[in-house]
Amino acid sequence: MAGGYIGRKLLQAMATILAIVILNFVLFRAMPGSPERVLLRNPNISAAAKAEIRAQWGLDEPLPVQLVSYLGATAQGDLGYSFKYRGQPVLDVLGSRFWPTVILFGLGQLIAVVVGIALGAYSGWKRGGVADYVGNGISLIFYSAPYFIIGMVLLVVFASMLGWFPTAGMSSLGVRHATLADELIDFGRHLFLPLTAVAIGLIGQYSILMRASIVETLGDDYVTTARAKGLRDGYVLRAHALPNAILPTASLVAINIGYVVAGAITVEVVFNWPGLGTLTVEALSARDFPVLQGIFLLLSVAVVLANLVADLIYGVLDPRVRA
Amino acid sequence: MSATTVSPGELRAARLRLRLRNSASFGRRLLSRPEGLLGIIILAFFSVLAAVPELLVGALETATTASGSRLQPPSAAHPFGTDRLGRDMLNLTVHATRISMVIGLLATAITVFLGALIGIVAGFLGGLVDTILMRITDFFLVLPTFVLALILAPILLDIIGANAQLFGMRVTLVVIVVVIGVTSWASTARIIRSQALSLRERTFVARARVIGSGSGQIMRRHILPNVVGLVVANAVLVFAGAILTETTLSFIGLGDPFQPSWGQILYAANAAGALPIGAWWFMAWPAASIILVVLAFTLLGSALDDLLNPRLRARR
Repeated sequence: MAGGYIGRKLLQAMATILAIVILNFVLFRAMPGSPERVLLRNPNISAAAKAEIRAQWGLDEPLPVQLVSYLGATAQGDLGYSFKYRGQPVLDVLGSRFWPTVILFGLGQLIAVVVGIALGAYSGWKRGGVADYVGNGISLIFYSAPYFIIGMVLLVVFASMLGWFPTAGMSSLGVRHATLADELIDFGRHLFLPLTAVAIGLIGQYSILMRASIVETLGDDYVTTARAKGLRDGYVLRAHALPNAILPTASLVAINIGYVVAGAITVEVVFNWPGLGTLTVEALSARDFPVLQGIFLLLSVAVVLANLVADLIYGVLDPRVRA
Repeated sequence: MSATTVSPGELRAARLRLRLRNSASFGRRLLSRPEGLLGIIILAFFSVLAAVPELLVGALETATTASGSRLQPPSAAHPFGTDRLGRDMLNLTVHATRISMVIGLLATAITVFLGALIGIVAGFLGGLVDTILMRITDFFLVLPTFVLALILAPILLDIIGANAQLFGMRVTLVVIVVVIGVTSWASTARIIRSQALSLRERTFVARARVIGSGSGQIMRRHILPNVVGLVVANAVLVFAGAILTETTLSFIGLGDPFQPSWGQILYAANAAGALPIGAWWFMAWPAASIILVVLAFTLLGSALDDLLNPRLRARR
């Protein structure tokens, strides 16, 4: 791959991340919880004490200087301190909620990509048939439903009515498991419904796009050629149509990550899954702005990196975009 | 002079007739597609609910005027069941239709206005203006705007004060409208820009310039009318997105309990712990409404896309 292409994409990603950090700084200045505003609301603080605290927090420096020190601190992973979880650095608060979310969405994405692509490719290939109508209809309904509604339906039906799965959390409270296997089974039972909700929510998007791009390729010359050569139908789909049609879906996966995590935040809320989503809602109700900003920064950077990876993969898969 | 002169009034009337005939035939073609027809029927149904909720189910029930006892399953008196305060779910759901649709409509208006403005200016003026505006647009496209909306909403709320009222709407809802509007215009701007870019090179624009029209006038009188179709098609999809965003923001607790939207009811259902105890009717109606409305907009959007994009027409 051409070095210029990689360099350009890397530079773009870095510029975007810098812009995000600056936006975060501006938001921090505007927000009501900043130390200055809190102090100004208290009428009993003397001017001298106010000035002292301003100096202590560096608020008496000119804005550009504050910005530079903010950038420096952020680069070192210092995201400030949480209001709600007193004394705890934001980074630690985020860290404690990071893995449950990664497990839920990593697995959800994986399942959705595989099932969505298969479903979309099949219904596009057999377009006009019964399978196409049924598949497309179901995809459209899933596509129209917010993730948390899918989660709520699953919760009501499979957890509270049928009682097959637990209704909340990541593990059974107060239960000591004899073996690691028991613990994993318990975890899996808790994971199943939220994971299904995330996967179902995503499958609709991927299969709709996949179907559309398969339908696009159907009229292309190389597919006609492959058929004219007498290749079997399934082989034409797998070896000729699919590799080309998969590109838009591949990029959607990356572009989507921001929306997915955002929408899926709500799935965590439904199932009380102890990840970044429930953390967001807790921080929101406590107006814990440093934590909210930390979440925003974390997600934004994740999205930028995902886009970068997608661009690079795209460059490998499709040499034309490198130009 | 041999040519018959036409008065400006006659010209305007003729133009109007042509436009009416065009839109009538466009409407017929839209209705002749099953997905377009289904979308319009669903939207018409919910528009009626949103227009006259009092006429259909009476005034919005509150904690003090609740007509039933708490968390009752559907019965003859309350065909949709009751919520945790004993309010009739049918009453709540119909009233929430108005809130959700109005928020969606206003947020769409802001989104499309910003997107069209930025897209037309960037595409028509080009050069440095275009570069700067498109960098900002790309930034907003990459950003997880939902999370940005989620941070902006409480900031704005705390600055304005959560109990104020603006234009008869609770300020919470105004903030949601504004936040959705300012965070979701980017894709509209991209689409409109590409169209403006190609319109700029057309002869009629050059002609307008020759007779001395300024850039502002050309954008208003020549570019804007030519992107209106695209703007409308895009607005349909933006509306679906706005409803989804509003629902999600309300669901995580940014809605207003005094003017409940569908998302707000779902928030209440979740917060009250209604689901683990099997009170499905607390969530089923607003959830079904959300899915139906978003589905309707998506169907309508795809029908419009087919009509406006001749390349696709042959394929299906």
